[in-house]
Amino acid sequence: MKNDISKQSLVLGIDTGGTYTDAVLLDYFSRKVLATHKSLTTKRDFSIGIGRVIDGIHIDDPSAIQMVSVSTTLATNAIAESKGKRVVLFLIGYDPDLISSFKMENSFATPNYYYFLGGHDLYGREKAELDLTSILSKVNEVKQSVDAIAVSSYFSPLNPEHEIRTQKAISAICDLPIVLGHQLSTKLNSVERATTAALNASLLSILQDFIIAVRQSMELRGIEAPLMVVRGDGTLMSDEFATRTPVETIHSGPAASAIGGRFLSPSLKQDTALIVDVGGTTTDVALIQRGQVTISEKGAIVSGYKTSVGAANLLSIGLGCDSHITLNRKKVLSIGPERVVPLAYLCKQYPDLRKKLKSLVNRNWTQSTPDWLEHWFLLREPKDESLLDTSRKKELIALLRQGPIAVPEIIQKLNILHINQLNVDELVRQEIIAKAGLTPTDLLHVSGVYSPWDVEAATWARQFFCNSQFLDPDEFDQIIWTQITDMIIRTIITFLSDKKVPHEEDLYDEFGLWLYKNSIYPNSEHFATTIRLVHPIIGIGAPAEVFLQEVSQKLLTKLVLPQHHEVANAVGAVAGSIMVSEEVIIYPKLSNMDLDIIGYYVQAGDGREEFSELEIARKYAIDLSKERALNAALRSGADNPQVTVEELSDGLDSYRIKVKAIGNPRLMR
Amino acid sequence: MELVRVDTQRAYQEIRKKIITLELPPGSPIDEGKLADEFDMGVLPIREAIKLLAHEHLVDIPPHGIYVSDVNIPDLEEISEVRVLLESFCARQAAKRADADDLIVLETLCEEMTSIPQSESMRLFNIDHKFHQAIAQAAHNKYLAQTLERFYGLSQRLWYLVLPELGFLPASVEEHLELVKVIISCDSDKAEQIMYDHVNGFYDKVREILLNKIKEK
Repeated sequence: MKNDISKQSLVLGIDTGGTYTDAVLLDYFSRKVLATHKSLTTKRDFSIGIGRVIDGIHIDDPSAIQMVSVSTTLATNAIAESKGKRVVLFLIGYDPDLISSFKMENSFATPNYYYFLGGHDLYGREKAELDLTSILSKVNEVKQSVDAIAVSSYFSPLNPEHEIRTQKAISAICDLPIVLGHQLSTKLNSVERATTAALNASLLSILQDFIIAVRQSMELRGIEAPLMVVRGDGTLMSDEFATRTPVETIHSGPAASAIGGRFLSPSLKQDTALIVDVGGTTTDVALIQRGQVTISEKGAIVSGYKTSVGAANLLSIGLGCDSHITLNRKKVLSIGPERVVPLAYLCKQYPDLRKKLKSLVNRNWTQSTPDWLEHWFLLREPKDESLLDTSRKKELIALLRQGPIAVPEIIQKLNILHINQLNVDELVRQEIIAKAGLTPTDLLHVSGVYSPWDVEAATWARQFFCNSQFLDPDEFDQIIWTQITDMIIRTIITFLSDKKVPHEEDLYDEFGLWLYKNSIYPNSEHFATTIRLVHPIIGIGAPAEVFLQEVSQKLLTKLVLPQHHEVANAVGAVAGSIMVSEEVIIYPKLSNMDLDIIGYYVQAGDGREEFSELEIARKYAIDLSKERALNAALRSGADNPQVTVEELSDGLDSYRIKVKAIGNPRLMR
Repeated sequence: MELVRVDTQRAYQEIRKKIITLELPPGSPIDEGKLADEFDMGVLPIREAIKLLAHEHLVDIPPHGIYVSDVNIPDLEEISEVRVLLESFCARQAAKRADADDLIVLETLCEEMTSIPQSESMRLFNIDHKFHQAIAQAAHNKYLAQTLERFYGLSQRLWYLVLPELGFLPASVEEHLELVKVIISCDSDKAEQIMYDHVNGFYDKVREILLNKIKEK
């Protein structure tokens, strides 16, 4: 970074992915990548990896940095691993019978939910009086055993009065953070709103801790700049917004990749492009149109919970360069979805292991299984004793202290029947122990495409795997790469067509299977069928070239690999626009007899105004939401934000005004 | 700016806690550098936090040095004078203006207060604070509520000071219950009187203990 920084606008983008934390130092206006760095993600404490990756960039003048932006899988992971904080959800005016008749009892993302009287109807009229006494006594009952409270009242987007009164009363008797449904979503789906509120409550302190940690790493390194956080739709919000609406960061990593990929391909003519991001753990597919990542019409779904927050439309599969190549339960060769440490890397760390691998190859066993390649090792000492809740786990740790050890040996030494008996998921998650095995990364070492670590070790590992399966190594490579290509092609087709591609065992669709196979692997002497992808593929991530070259050829399209595509995710973290959206609902006020519309309400957040004419109400609603969105976007640091207005009809004379103010980050040129 | 804000908030809370729990005793000097090291942050947020604390009268910044503000009888007289007046006025307004939601809050707080055993003085103290806040809320005057809130840190510290000799007063719980009763019945004169006696009583006890402490010295 020896350029003349006085003429540059430096921004720092950071992406904390499942395997790596990436950082990129970018000159915003010239789109020039000045420095990049990769560091392993530290799931036990993300700020460690973030600190390391900032240090790896070697910033000469930290004060020149004008913006830092992060995308994080923190929220998604916390939900997937049920590591969110304990939440109690209060459902006001919801009908328990209705919820159970639709089998929605498990949709709320918390088992702690309670029903109370109250709520409004679809004209914003009080359905029943709010039972505050019961709510407060429930708060007293549960407040010691929860970390946050979520409140969702029936039709609260039309009339949030009961939610607001509940919040006021609860905050008078306890200090727990409270999340209100109407503040997160104006959509009328009451279950999704409640789920979103509960998830948001469970993530509040997690994201807050994260942001404070990032800010501290910034300060430690003399970086004084606004901090942005990427949303699930790829746009940016200020850190202040993010601490209040952590639920919006769901799926932000893949969205950032997609935006970064497009940003790095300025010369691409096509308006639409398919973004395929090949990482260590997963491969994510997204579509870019007019520079924006396409948004899913439905709200983001995370771990099976339907939310009402917007997120990029994407499809993710558990396939990456560190996916475990092994035999599945049916003894069939499989790749992923589990992510392991490549053996080439492990042997670089533990050179003693090389001898063992070599002797494996030379031994001629009749019963050699690929399990011998799977090694477990100790990453760090478990400080928390409670993690070693069984004597077997203690024995295991003692065993691993001596170095990496193969799974069959663990089974033998601990005298167990099956490795799953050890139940080490939590130890793996806490990064106490890790698993290593044969991965595509090792195969890349053998072929010389990518070989930063121990090539010999990778060669032996591959040889041993082939011996155990009576395969020729070249044939083995062929099988693996064909399978990877096939998995990605199927994902792309499913993503863009919303159709499942049939498998060999799916006999019900013989023609579909034939058509697919003949198109990708031409075989018929009579028909030439093709499946041609009309958009170019933009490949992202270090292994993109090897993983996607054949994919693009088979789909008869171009593969674009922009420079620095391996850190496109981090580029995307800063390349996104700052966006603030405001939604206002207009709905009729009815006369007491239910017969006539006697006016219109404009419900904007907590405030409500009444108008006699729809036109006046509409104008007021648009002006108000424009002003609010514009001001909030400016406050968030957007440069010259552009405002778009969308009017949607909700039926029954109700309308929804959706205003977005979008602008690039305001930086000094 | 933003960055300083996060750390300032943390520094403010940490230092305030040290002062209130008497870890930093009244009258003792404050070393900014030492605190910055302890909290692993710059001096700037510490300085900002100290300004906020000075605003709450928990810290004194004379021309040279920074000190935890002293607790002394003359100061106590001045504080109690204002607080007694404001709290009792607050109770009077609450009796006039409390709405149904305010009353539910007050009743819930009373229920909880009676259910907490005497031994858990910390919880009782927290709920006492919530109770006074709820009365201020029920008075429906945000300036009054904000003014009273500024006294909170000071009385919290006094409470820590007298805690070893005092414990939490069972009589005080009964006074709260009585107060809610008269607020429900909209008796503003009575509400004012109860609150006046309640707050005055607290300061009488504090004064007594402080005087004894001075004599001991």
